[in-house]
Formats: sequence, C-alpha cells, structure tokens
Amino acid sequence: MSQADDAFVHHESIFEKPPLSLRNVHIMYKSRKGAVNAVRGVDLDLRAGESLSLIGESGSGKTTLGLGIVRLLVKTAKVTQGEIIYRRDGLEMDVGQLDAQQLREFRWRECSMVFQSALNSFNPVLRIWNQMYDTAKAHGWSDRRAVREHVLNLLRFVQLDAERVIDAYPHELSGGMRQRVLIAMSLLLDPQVLILDEPTTALDILTQRTIIDLLRRLKDEQRLTMLFISHDLAIAAELADRIATMYAGKIVEIGSADDIFYRPRHPYTLGLIRAVPKVIGEFEDLVSILGSPPDLVDLPSGCKFHPRCPFATERCRREEPDLEQVGQDHAAACWHWQAVEEEVADHPLHQSLPAQTIVYSGE
Amino acid sequence: MATTFDATQLPVEAERKPSRAAGFLNSFLLRRLLKALFTAFVVITLTFFLIRLLPSNPIELFIQELMVQYSMPYHQARDQAAALFAIDLEKPLILQYFDYLGGLVRGDLGTSILSPGTPVTSFIKRFLPWTVFSVGLALMISFTSGVILGLLMAYRRESLLDHILTVLASVLSAIPNYILGILLIIWLGVRWGVVPVAQMRGSLSPGVQPGFTLAFFQDALFHAALPIAAYVLTTVGSWMLTMKSSTISVLEEDYVTVARAKGLKESRITTAYVGRNAALPLFTLLAISIGFVVGGSVLIETIFQYQGIGYVLLQAVNRRDYVVMQGVFLIITLSVIFANFFADMLYSWLDPRIKFGAAE
Ligand SMILES: Nc1ncnc2c1ncn2[C@@H]1O[C@H](COP(=O)(O)OP(=O)(O)O)[C@@H](O)[C@H]1O
Ligand code: SF4
Ligand SMILES: [Mg+2]
Repeated sequence: MSQADDAFVHHESIFEKPPLSLRNVHIMYKSRKGAVNAVRGVDLDLRAGESLSLIGESGSGKTTLGLGIVRLLVKTAKVTQGEIIYRRDGLEMDVGQLDAQQLREFRWRECSMVFQSALNSFNPVLRIWNQMYDTAKAHGWSDRRAVREHVLNLLRFVQLDAERVIDAYPHELSGGMRQRVLIAMSLLLDPQVLILDEPTTALDILTQRTIIDLLRRLKDEQRLTMLFISHDLAIAAELADRIATMYAGKIVEIGSADDIFYRPRHPYTLGLIRAVPKVIGEFEDLVSILGSPPDLVDLPSGCKFHPRCPFATERCRREEPDLEQVGQDHAAACWHWQAVEEEVADHPLHQSLPAQTIVYSGE
Repeated sequence: MATTFDATQLPVEAERKPSRAAGFLNSFLLRRLLKALFTAFVVITLTFFLIRLLPSNPIELFIQELMVQYSMPYHQARDQAAALFAIDLEKPLILQYFDYLGGLVRGDLGTSILSPGTPVTSFIKRFLPWTVFSVGLALMISFTSGVILGLLMAYRRESLLDHILTVLASVLSAIPNYILGILLIIWLGVRWGVVPVAQMRGSLSPGVQPGFTLAFFQDALFHAALPIAAYVLTTVGSWMLTMKSSTISVLEEDYVTVARAKGLKESRITTAYVGRNAALPLFTLLAISIGFVVGGSVLIETIFQYQGIGYVLLQAVNRRDYVVMQGVFLIITLSVIFANFFADMLYSWLDPRIKFGAAE
C-alpha cells in the first residue's frame, strides 16, 4: 500500500496544484479573558511533495493551525473565517464543509498528524497492534494479515524491533520508541499530507537526533507532503524545503530554507536565527529576542512585532504590514524589510549553514 | 566544535521491559493469600471480643424473656435456660476464644446458642445465597447503569440532562439505604399501593421450590425487587458521579484526540478509548462497595423482611447469639477480602500498566 501510488507521487511538484491550501484562515478561542486570536489570517500553500516547516515561539498559534487543518480544535475554538482547501487527483474540497462521515474519512487517510505529545498519544489499555488495526479498520481495511504485515514493515522502517513492538503495550515502550511508533502509524494509510507538531520536543537530545534522521529519511524516501511544526529553527533547517515564520497568529515570512536562513527579511526571523547558537562556546553571538510574545487577547496596534522590534518606526505602530514579495518565491510582512536586508549584508549571519549538523543549545 | 551524531551507529532500540514472570506471580499470590489470612484472623479476633462487650448476654436475655412471657420466677427461668443451653458462659473468655479458633481450623463454626443443635453453617447455607443473589444483582445493575449514565453525563456536559442527573445522583447517594427502604414501603406500598409489599416479604413465596424453573426465578426476583431497588437507588448515584468526572478527564487525554484524528468511529472511541479508561478507577471502588452493601443488607433485609444473611445477623444480635453473630461476621469479612482480591485481579487484568501485584 505504501508504494502503491507511484505514478501519483512522482509528478513534478511544480506543475501540480498544492494538496493543501489555507486561505485567510482565522481561528479564535473563547476564554474568560476574552477572545484569543490564535490564528489571524493565514495564507499558505503546501506544495506537493514538499516539506514546509512552520516555526515560531511557543504561543504563536502553530498547534492551533495544525489542529484547525484536521478540524480537531477544542470546542471553545472556532475557525471564524477562511477556507482550508484539500486537493487530490485533480479533485478539490473544502475541509471546513465536510460532514462528520466525510471528515472521518479525510482524517488519517488523506491527512495524518503526529502530535506534540507522542507519549500520551496511545490508549494505555490497548496493544500497539490493536491501535493500528483500529485505524485500518475504521477506514475499511480489515484484512488482518495484510494490515499486520504492513504494520510490521512500517515498524521496521522506523527502525524498531517490529515483532516485539507490535504486541507491546504503550507503557512498555520508551518515549523515543513511542514517537517512532506514532510516526509509523501516521504512515499506515499512506496519506498524502502529514502534519508533524513538534515531534522531537518532548525527547532527550540523543533520541531527538534519531527521530530527525528518521524524518529526513521519510522525506527523501516516501515523498510525502509534510507540514513540520517546530519552535526550533535548527531542526527546521534540517528538514524543510521551505520555512514559514509565524508570529502572533500570522505568517510574517515565508521562503526557501536557504532564503530564510541566509537572507531573512523580517526582523523576527532575523531574531530567531540570531538566537540559534551556531557553535558551542561562542556565546557572544547569541542574541535572544527581547520581550515576550504579545497577549493574543489584547493585541498591540499596527505590526504585532513592533514592541520588540529594533527596526520599528511610527508607521509600524499604526499599520500592520501584509506579506509582500521580497525576492524569488520569498515573502515577508515588514515595512522595513530593506533595512533588514542591509543589516544582514553588514553583519553576515553564518559562515556556513549547518546543513547536516545540529548544534544544541542545551548541554 | 559542532556535535554531530551518526544515526547509523546507534543501535536499533529493541529493549522491552521484562514480561510478567510466572514465579513472581506465584510469590505474589502467596503473599496476597497470607495477607488475607492475617486480615481474617484480626477481624475474627476483634469480633469475638467485641460482641461479648455488648450489654447483657444470651442466657440473661432468654431468662428475662421467659420471666416476662411466662411470668416465671427468676430461679425457675434460670434452671430451664441452663437445661436448654449446653454452653458454659462462665468459662474464661480466653479459653472460649481458643475453642472457637480450634473449631474454625476444623471448619466448624459452632452451633447456635439459641437454636441448640443447629450448626451455624446451616444458617449460612440457607440464608446467604439470598443475600448474594440480591446484593450481587443490585451491584451489577447499579454499576452498569452508573457507568453508562456517567458516560452520558460527561458527553452531554452542561446540558439539561446532565444537570438533572447530577442533582438526582447527588441526592440519591446522600440518602442512607434503610431510609430509602422505609420511604419505598411507605410510598409504593402504603400511600400509592402500587406494590404488594406484604406479599413480597420473605425471599420466596410459600410453595415455590428452588430449581431451574422460570417460576422460581420470577418469584425470587419478585421478592428481591424491593431490596434490590433500595441498594441500586442508593449506590447508583456515586457510580454516576465518579464515572462522570473520570470520563471528563479521559476526554481530555491526548489519545482520545489521536483516536479522532485517526478517523475512528465515534462508537469505537466511546467504548474502547474513553469508556474503558474512564471505568478503570471504578473497579477499585467496586470491592469497597461490596463490603458496604453486604453490611448494609442488615437493615435493608430487616425492613423488607427479606430472609438473607443480614436478617439472620440482626436476629442474632438482638438475642446475643454470639456463635451465629461470629459466623455471619466471618462470612462478611471473607466476602470483603475476597471481593478485594477479585477487584485487584480484575483491575490488573483490565489495566496492563498495573503489573499484577505491583500495587502493593
Ligand atoms: N484551549 C485553549 N483555550 C484558550 N486559548 C488557547 C487554547 N489553546 C491555545 N490557546 C492559546 O492560543 C495561542 C496559540 O497556542 P498554540 O497554537 O498552542 O501555539 P504554539 O503551538 O505555537 O505554541 C496561545 O496564546 C495559547 O494560549
Ligand atoms: S513592520 Fe516595523 S515593527 Fe513590524 S517587523 Fe517590520 S520593522 Fe518591525
Ligand atoms: Mg504547539
């Protein structure tokens, strides 16, 4: 099943319509303090076969957006505006309009999601096999032997001792193993789109490393369309073809991984890059972004980044910029992106991009 | 220097925690058994001495009964009592205690003081099944409906149905079962006259023979209906409330969200993902409640004149029939111990995270 749609997979991505398009998506939470504007008008195309990384500080609305795509938001949240268009084989549908049955079929079969908290993603009283089989059966695949064979293959793909893991209970597996099982499970129905929400955040550094390698292999071999959510720019750089920076519920810059890394045009992206320690020991290079993310209930006027932005002017306090073209396939939402360009030219960011290397800020 | 890792050099993660070893299981069972025996011993000892602290004693009470009923003079009544009962209450307590223990070891629970010649075991054989039947059935009904209603309340949280059921459950679980029993008799039996309370007395109608016949089961249910109603109504509320809060917290678990993300059918999510996990903590309460319900049967069976073991116990207490009291308390103790053991096994079977015996 996994290699079935070869013809489909090998289309040149450029000529294909994006499998997933978000159009002006707004998501709001009701809370005691008032409406939380977690996502404020996101436009995003997920191109066929690409791996797009969504980065931003904690609280910028990344998880909310991911959950919004598969319509798994909590009851207090609402998509107040916009549409989520999903396409496959030339057909197109608005995820927001699906009825309960269609939605059930859409989930996992078309778009699966690896959650932030893999540790608790498994039902503690069911064996891995039962949770896998539940999933297959829910989508009309009830040939036990075939499913089992497929699951074993997937478990091997994620480098687990498949025969043992398949009949284990979740608590018998370590965090890293559970994360891999979850990744294997996300591939069970060979979905077109895979959303990964901080798949490495809860893990120790060594395990993080193996998961990242696994994801890179997944990207190279399976040619899925991936939305990779992370607050860690270094990890994003390793896995992404394109990177989108999110701030206060909006995408403020989007471009190829190279452009974002070498030629950022938004002060927030620049801040994020400078906050990544390049080489252990050179702490003088480390500049974290001052201040904290804005209150999403009571947002600042104008550009939402202005209270923290070193480039801010009077205009920034009054008007909020929209994404504008700043280069080939590269957009940023900043009135003063040229100033950022000059700044980057004066103070180059990297001697070399740590393309295959991750440097950790931890120990 | 940048730190790089080469994943190919990392071993494939293969380790799995050790599976339950059979030897461990056995030693655990043995420990469990010893603990149960010790508990039983302590309770037996306590009951033996405590019931003898009750004011008066069976002989005194019997003598007084004779004096009041037949206007006998004291010495005549005492002589008659002494002739009737082959029991020496003058014997030192500690020796009586050892006699009793010795009997227990031989499986001899003694004979009733006030019905000479009737062994306590025959009381138990005759009356216990009715209590087990009514209490067991009530517990099953109460547990099942509490779980289902609690689940429903959690799913319909903050709805009118939830509010009504919550109030109902809180009120019901606050009423002691004997009060509810009296209310049932007053309202159903006397005020509205919808239930033939008088005919429902006893555990079977005269002439009905126990056996695998429909008539027998119908009659047994007919007679047990009111006690069962009283048990169910007074216990279902706490099951409902516990299940509701447990379900609410399980509904927030990530694995439920993941189950939805996987596109599972709602029915499967409700039973295997939400219901099963939410019901787990209730099983530990099951054991405790078995103890309470058996204890509670004393008053309920007396109110409804239902001839189970609780009814026997009250009779024995009133007449200070120490031997029967001891026997019944022993049965109650054993049933609680057994229920605990059973609930533990059930729990460790239902929840794979609980290694059999690791809870200790
Ligand atoms: N259930 C909720 N109720 C109210 N606000 C929420 C809820 N979940 C998230 N939020 C708010 O929405 C914003 C975005 O959160 P989230 O999408 O989790 O961000 P991220 O994944 O980028 O860390 C945060 O300010 C958070 O406080
Ligand atoms: S618009 Fe102004 S405040 Fe906003 S990022 Fe650009 S320079 Fe900073
Ligand atoms: Mg998040």
